[in-house]
Amino acid sequence: MAISQELLDILACPKCKGDIYLNETKDGLICDRCKLLYEIKDDIPIMLIDEAKPIEK
Amino acid sequence: MKCLVTGAAGFIGSHLSEYLIKKACKVVGIDNFMDYYPRSIKEANIACLRKNLNFEFIEGSLLEVDLLRLLNGVDVIFHQSAQAGVRASWGQNFKIYSDNNILATQMLLEACKQSPVEKFVYASSSSVYGDTKDLPMNESSMPCPVSPYGVSKLAAENLCCLYYKNFGIPTVSLRYFTVYGARQRPDMAFHRFFRWALEDKPLKVYGDGEQSRDFTHVDDIVEANWLAFEKAMPGEVFNIGGGSRVTLNEVIELMKELLGRELKVHYQGTQKGDVRHTLANMTKAGEKVGYKPKVSIRDGLKTEYEWVKKLVSGRVVE
Ligand SMILES: [Zn+2]
Repeated sequence: MAISQELLDILACPKCKGDIYLNETKDGLICDRCKLLYEIKDDIPIMLIDEAKPIEK
Repeated sequence: MKCLVTGAAGFIGSHLSEYLIKKACKVVGIDNFMDYYPRSIKEANIACLRKNLNFEFIEGSLLEVDLLRLLNGVDVIFHQSAQAGVRASWGQNFKIYSDNNILATQMLLEACKQSPVEKFVYASSSSVYGDTKDLPMNESSMPCPVSPYGVSKLAAENLCCLYYKNFGIPTVSLRYFTVYGARQRPDMAFHRFFRWALEDKPLKVYGDGEQSRDFTHVDDIVEANWLAFEKAMPGEVFNIGGGSRVTLNEVIELMKELLGRELKVHYQGTQKGDVRHTLANMTKAGEKVGYKPKVSIRDGLKTEYEWVKKLVSGRVVE
């Protein structure tokens, strides 16, 4: 069970307040602008800047 | 109806969320899992809730999330989150209190200007009174907190009143008097007492044990939140107590009865910021919103004891 669309709709990147989207493996939310991944653990989106993982590219 | 519960994984927030779900509300819960106490306890608090499709949960901080998006479609806010702890609020720590208790509340109120809600119920605290001479404590008494924590709760409460007067945000503040029951925070007296008793350790009591509190069971607190949403006039402040004043020594006597044995007690020096007595005058809450506490200290203690017993034996979840 992934997180619901309803929940996704009320989430934004806590750093830039911009849009985020579910990654392919559906275990994280990505902010392209900040290049950050917010993990989803046990179906709980962890929307804390300190916990976000930088996306390498 | 859709509700936002802040501090939803905490002691009161989790009980309140369960109650709202039973009332057929949708609940969005947010909690930052501050490392004030073990994460596993908070996870257990919401384990049942999370099975319910009407409950959505976000790990996040009110200081960081996009509040306007969060409030999208929300009808009522129950603002329960706060950095707790009277004794820890001195010194360097105060920033944590001013950020999470004052600033976070102000940001939420600001967001309500753009995303109106039907009611904004704020969890205030009897600690705003401090060592007042007036007993029972009246909502109209001059607040005089004796801890930085109390100052932060009062500041946020004043902001709620201001945002009602200036912007019409329909805030209601509930001054909770020492809340107890299942899921009580591990730093709180009853939780510690039961745990020590179960581990055959002496109970450490600050002072002579003759300090008294108007102990309030969490079920009564939850009910008061609902009544505040349904019936309270905006801009108002209400005392929410348990209906009687009990000393810590009396509580320990009741605990002995519950456990069916003697308990060793070590009395220690008093702590800065501790108040001697609290007692709520609940005339206003009774008359204006129909609040009447239902859980006696004897029955209430039993619910907490059963829960701590499970916690100590490792059967946490419920
Ligand atoms: Zn971003």
